[in-house]
Amino acid sequence: MSDKKINIVLLIVFATFIVLGVYQGRRVEFYRECEAFYRWILAVGTQERLFQTSEGEKKSDKFIDLQLFAKLSDKAIPLLLSETKETVLVDSALTNQENFANIIGDISNDPVIWKLTIKKEMRDLREEFLKSLREGKIEFSRNISYVEAQKSGVNIFNLFFGFRKIAASLIWLEVDRYWHQGLLYRMVPLMRTCVTLDPNFVEAYLIGAWHLAYNATAKLIDTPQHLKKWNLKYKACVGEKETFYYLAIDFLKKGIRHNPRDYKLYFDLGFAIYKNKMNDYPNAVRYLTEAVRVPHERWVRRQLYICQETNGQYEEALQGWEDYKKRFPDNPVAPRFILRNQGKIYEKNAQEIIKEAEKVVDEQLKAKMMNDAVSLKKQAREIWQKLKEEENDPYGDYRLLLMDAMELYNEGRYLESIAVLDKARWESPSNFDEVSDLIIRIKQEANLPLTVSEKKAVLRKAEGDRCQGMPEEMTDKGSG
Amino acid sequence: MQNLLDTVKGPWFIAVYTWREGLRRKTLVGFLVLSLLVIFGATFMTSFINQATVGDVTTDMDLKLIKDICVTTISIFGILITIFISASVVPTEIENRVIYTVLSKPVRRFQYLFGKFLGVQLIIIMNLCLMGGLFFIALYIKQQILPTLLLWSVFLTYFEFLIVSALTFAIACASSSSVLPTIAGLFIYITGSLTEYLKDVYNRSGQSGEWFDTLIGYIAYILWNILPNLQRFSLKTQIINSQPNDPPTDVLIPQLVIYGLIYAVCGYILAYWIFRKREV
Repeated sequence: MSDKKINIVLLIVFATFIVLGVYQGRRVEFYRECEAFYRWILAVGTQERLFQTSEGEKKSDKFIDLQLFAKLSDKAIPLLLSETKETVLVDSALTNQENFANIIGDISNDPVIWKLTIKKEMRDLREEFLKSLREGKIEFSRNISYVEAQKSGVNIFNLFFGFRKIAASLIWLEVDRYWHQGLLYRMVPLMRTCVTLDPNFVEAYLIGAWHLAYNATAKLIDTPQHLKKWNLKYKACVGEKETFYYLAIDFLKKGIRHNPRDYKLYFDLGFAIYKNKMNDYPNAVRYLTEAVRVPHERWVRRQLYICQETNGQYEEALQGWEDYKKRFPDNPVAPRFILRNQGKIYEKNAQEIIKEAEKVVDEQLKAKMMNDAVSLKKQAREIWQKLKEEENDPYGDYRLLLMDAMELYNEGRYLESIAVLDKARWESPSNFDEVSDLIIRIKQEANLPLTVSEKKAVLRKAEGDRCQGMPEEMTDKGSG
Repeated sequence: MQNLLDTVKGPWFIAVYTWREGLRRKTLVGFLVLSLLVIFGATFMTSFINQATVGDVTTDMDLKLIKDICVTTISIFGILITIFISASVVPTEIENRVIYTVLSKPVRRFQYLFGKFLGVQLIIIMNLCLMGGLFFIALYIKQQILPTLLLWSVFLTYFEFLIVSALTFAIACASSSSVLPTIAGLFIYITGSLTEYLKDVYNRSGQSGEWFDTLIGYIAYILWNILPNLQRFSLKTQIINSQPNDPPTDVLIPQLVIYGLIYAVCGYILAYWIFRKREV
């Protein structure tokens, strides 16, 4: 073969591979764009399912995430139904948006969502998303590589040659330094920079929220209820401490939107903030339930069941603990909590029967119902006894004392009842406030003199949950 | 069959020889030792940062820092090793006149070049294995779980290096000194990492309405399509901290491997084209 011919062959082969490279590059680009779209779907789906109803704030008109998600849901649900009838559950009572958000919430549907994302039918929506992303109209996007900085002309992604994760980590070292120097006000903006550079930096969200909710508030005093101000965004009365709690909540929510498959963020939001700091058990249960829907550590479930119990969801908690015991038979805690919830269910059922019996006119039926209630109470007592003796749990003692006190109260023996309650509250310090409130109630009913601290507690209650600027319609509902 | 075996044997011997030569290079060993020190030191650097939040629940902050430091170290030192070795194997042989001895034997230029390229890849793979292996052990000691995602990250890193290596190798074939290809290799890496910027240029072009502005936009778009985009391999840093069984990642990894291979072939063809015209 002549030299010229070899050159031509080489040129053709080279050009062919360049064309192949361009084609493959476009394919990779297509999948990267689909990936950005997919991540956004997960983020906005999480927003829709978990946060949308709780956030009172009016979303800025600048962002079109929710409108785009509505369009996407209308297109996605029929497509999913036509192709994956058996695997995807769609509730006809819900809107397409709610259904799609619920589908997104299930981690096992991730491959389904991905397949949907790369479909031809989604092309126009995908392009609309990318266009909006470039124009800065998308709020919940994770991948900053697609957000071209229109004004400055410098893409932040290019700025670090792809090493922005290490940049985020190095900035975090600065955050840690500021923390040790006590410069909290400098930490917050840097923490935000960290998670902007690396939206997958889960630890930054966790530790950042912890700094805000725990360390920043450590030396703050509680704001009296009447000095708190109504916050439109959070729909709650907010004092100094609460401001930091809500900042921590916002920070964790941002983390959840970007990393909806990480249990730690749900756990910290539910346990560390809602349960430990705000005593908001319904929300604690809500986010801990989300935490157990994704791969998690075994102790996450335990916290969920404890919160369910505190929230009065004894049946769910009992079911959970029984399941937990089956999975981990060697766990020493589960049997104790099974007994606790069983006892509470008996007591709750007894109370309900007594309430029903009070409405019944038929004396015979009433007597039968009261007998049932007594029998349930007896079963509850047996459980508490068992808890006390077999599990060596002081909570059993506390519940027995509480039952004794309530029986004395029902017999009109108020002083004795109060004496037993006083013993009970020292037996179980975690229930101190609850028992103290009960003592005040009995004292007020029996016209017995209140102590100074009890009088103060009554005054505090009389002030109510109102705060400055609180709308009238919210008064009955109460607030944070 | 014997002919085929002979065709493969020649490049293989050259590759092994190149690999042995590479091991003797002080610069490469220096880079490797430095990178291993940084990876090893990362575990100490992060030990003070280990933080516990509510209820003494420890976070994986130190683990995250180790991962970031190690992946970056592997990328930086790995690319330096890749560039230095790809830029020097052919020019050094020309400088030492070893190439004349080799080419006077029954070895075709194609085989010689392929053997050299294979040898370079062996060195890169060995360095990656050493750095990745130490990183693997460091992570395993920290988290007590086999960090399988790390293997994917290192695997992708290799294909990024493969592109840079092939193109640097092509330039080295035209040069008689290793200085120019080394600078060119660094330039290829930096340009490859900034190719994404060309898309920004294209997206913002045409706003002034001037024909020149539009033309620049089109040129940027063509270049963005043709030039290898190393930023696409940023997935390597993403997967290391992500959850396993992520559907987009599972699709993107094989696509990136094919992408890397295609540009490596392009680089090699270019190298051969240049080398066959060269008078040695």
